Amino acid sequence: MKISRRDFLKGTATSLFLAGFNFPVLASTSKKKNLIVIMLRGGMDGLCAVPVIGDKRFEKIRKGILIENPMKLDSDFALHPKLKGFSECWHDNTGAIVHATSIPYTARSHFEGQNLMESGGRVPYQEKTGWLGRGMKLANLKGEGLALSLPMPLLLRGVPKNDNYYPADGRLPREETLELLKSVYADSSEEELLDMINFIKKRKNEQMGTGHSYDKRNNKNLAWKAGQLLSNPNGPRVAVFEVNGFDTHAAQGGIDGTHTRCLVEMDTIIQNLKISRTAYANSIILTVTEFGRTIKKNGGNGTEHGYGTAVFLAGGLVKKSQVHTDWPGLKRKEMYEGRDLNATIDARSVYASAMSTVFDLDFKRIQKDVFWGEDLQNLSDKLFKA
Amino acid sequence: MKNFFRKVAFGLKPEEKAPSDPLTWAQKQVETIPELNWKGKHIYSEKEMRKYWITQRVEENTTLRKKYKNDPEGLRRAEHKLEADTGKHLWPANELCIRHSEGLRSDHPVLAKLWYFWGNHFTISDTQTLGSYSTGAYQREFLRANMDKNFETMATEATLAWPMIMHLDNKDNIGPKSISGREEWRRREKEPATINENHARELMELHTISPDGGYTQEDVIELAKIMTGWRPKWSKRKDHGSDVKFDSERHEPGKKIVLGKEYKKGKKGITLAIKDLVNHPSCREFIATKLCRYLITDEPTPQMIAPVIKAWEKSDGFLPEVHKAAIKAAFEYNDKYRKFQNPENWWLTTINMSGSTYSYPAKEKLIDSHPLGIKPFGEISDQAWFLEDLGCHPYRQKQPNGFSDFEKDWLSTELIIRRIMFAKTAFHKYNVKDQIDENIHEKIILNNFDNPDKILKIVSKAKTNEEKHIILFNLPEVLKA
Repeated sequence: MKISRRDFLKGTATSLFLAGFNFPVLASTSKKKNLIVIMLRGGMDGLCAVPVIGDKRFEKIRKGILIENPMKLDSDFALHPKLKGFSECWHDNTGAIVHATSIPYTARSHFEGQNLMESGGRVPYQEKTGWLGRGMKLANLKGEGLALSLPMPLLLRGVPKNDNYYPADGRLPREETLELLKSVYADSSEEELLDMINFIKKRKNEQMGTGHSYDKRNNKNLAWKAGQLLSNPNGPRVAVFEVNGFDTHAAQGGIDGTHTRCLVEMDTIIQNLKISRTAYANSIILTVTEFGRTIKKNGGNGTEHGYGTAVFLAGGLVKKSQVHTDWPGLKRKEMYEGRDLNATIDARSVYASAMSTVFDLDFKRIQKDVFWGEDLQNLSDKLFKA
Repeated sequence: MKNFFRKVAFGLKPEEKAPSDPLTWAQKQVETIPELNWKGKHIYSEKEMRKYWITQRVEENTTLRKKYKNDPEGLRRAEHKLEADTGKHLWPANELCIRHSEGLRSDHPVLAKLWYFWGNHFTISDTQTLGSYSTGAYQREFLRANMDKNFETMATEATLAWPMIMHLDNKDNIGPKSISGREEWRRREKEPATINENHARELMELHTISPDGGYTQEDVIELAKIMTGWRPKWSKRKDHGSDVKFDSERHEPGKKIVLGKEYKKGKKGITLAIKDLVNHPSCREFIATKLCRYLITDEPTPQMIAPVIKAWEKSDGFLPEVHKAAIKAAFEYNDKYRKFQNPENWWLTTINMSGSTYSYPAKEKLIDSHPLGIKPFGEISDQAWFLEDLGCHPYRQKQPNGFSDFEKDWLSTELIIRRIMFAKTAFHKYNVKDQIDENIHEKIILNNFDNPDKILKIVSKAKTNEEKHIILFNLPEVLKA
């Protein structure tokens, strides 16, 4: 089948799977809703993750790196078969995809693109805060952000007192040492240091493990840990992950290639967040990336920097399993500059809609105060539960 | 008063005699640029380092990608081999040793602390593997070497330095109406020549006049046009590794107007524009504020920065005078303000006050004898790893605006955990004799604090020498200087 933009219905839902498979909405003691953002650095290939079905031209130009035996999602799209975690979300009606989308950035530099996917702006380096940080500020969510990385990502800047979790090497000192530091900070009225030593004291036990820091810091464990923290009614409401390495100019490979490995890392984060079922039931997980990749493979069996890509959505606040798109088609004249999947949905519309849902803020306020009144679509009703 | 030694330098070693006139001691250090303290053999120019960058770049992009196009595992192995062969991990370790020797083993630690300031002001962010090969050399050659000249010289040289042109994409800044821009193939291949504003914007916003200078988007575009053509030529053999030159065929013709002033087309435009930018009142105010923020407090007062601005005006931006004025301000406000130190400066203070500078940074012999082709390990790789784990590897800034100078950005749970862990790491830098020396902390404290009794009393509550180290170097008196 060749779908073109004209005859395509927005949001092809898969009612087939859904009967009786609704994700159990747990009776939560708190109404705390969470937003988890996974930053996919390097340019995630939306057509490797979510290939279009039955497009002969696509199959031809991607020969050699085409993903075989993908899992059919609907009549038009399939899912990379290694994304086991996400496919479970799809089956229990909590996983969705927005396809042919991107931030409005077409100049193909990682450096600029990653800056913009975090700042949410149009001019690289102009903004010194992130769209998520500004959204949290608007919702007055101080001290409720958690970065699963050591430096605070730009994405979270703009709101004070964010926490981070990225276990250090070795063991923390004994309880008495921390207690002594605490009393010193208290005596000298060092409020911020005091806050932090209290955080650290809570972490003490988990630091005592003998596992190598490399394991503690891999995304699988960070996600499991973040799930626990998000479950806590007094815990963070926003978490940010990073997956690196999507820039596969060579040996992108098929089912066992480098791109697959990165996608699986993303999938592992979703899988492990889901272990904390209460938190998952009240969450939106969404992915961001700086751009997609060229349709055509290059001489090194890789792909170059492109434009349109896909956004993964998961969590109990996702309305239903669907591929939401305004598919532009892959004929030469339908592509961006004749080479890239076009973007027909501004990815920031998805970000703004997710924040509107999770932070209980009017979409228009987010549009105005976070995204400078730019022309964004309110997709909240289409993509998320109210 | 003792705090001043932590404020403008890294404290005093346990045996070091406190200078009797601290202000003069500090100011004297910034008058001239002495030879580097590091005596290792690998002190290469930025251009010499570029050949490793070129080899890595060209081999990876052409040879390896073709050779291993169906073998991701093989590609990864070959890439690691190439990294080792070109010193991707050895060179930054070498540069960190050079850098930290200045702070810890030289007789001019104040100059070193200010050098670190400029490295962050004229940041080369972590992109295109510049941090692995070029940034260290760039910071020595274009920043440190110009600390005894006018700001204009430093700004001009930094702007046109190859790593700066690369990381701010000026290589892609091509005049649409230039000779190259009008060439037929561009229409055919759909590769139009376009202005890339990135470098021009940062030159104003981050490096000279700051947004307070009141420039508009139109000024950014006009300055970008002045900068068109400044780039390294691409070649198959060198990728973008050639010297930065002015390519008149890519230069946008016509006059340009920036901040109301007209510039003719041509090679001289950029140096004239920089001259005007550095002489703009907002530039001296911006730099004076940043210097005071680095040394004194997040929010410098107008009174604080006024003498620094005045020194700039009197000396035409002569950096030794500007630095002396900033040091004087730090001296005068020493008792009133305490600044939470960034992780690198705190780490160096911890090593320096401990007196374990004999084991950190690693020795010349160790670095010099490490062969290319083998990935560094142990003490050599620790250099970079420590900085990375502390959260501020100085060649790995994520953004062109560098690391934050604001305290709040360094106060996060994980970063405070790192201070606790690294105080312990610092203790284990001691040899056994010092580790079991029962008086070691008393010596450190007596030499470094005006109120040693209070500090001694707190530290004496710790049971072991290791624990004393953790407590001492995480006291507010050390975290903040």
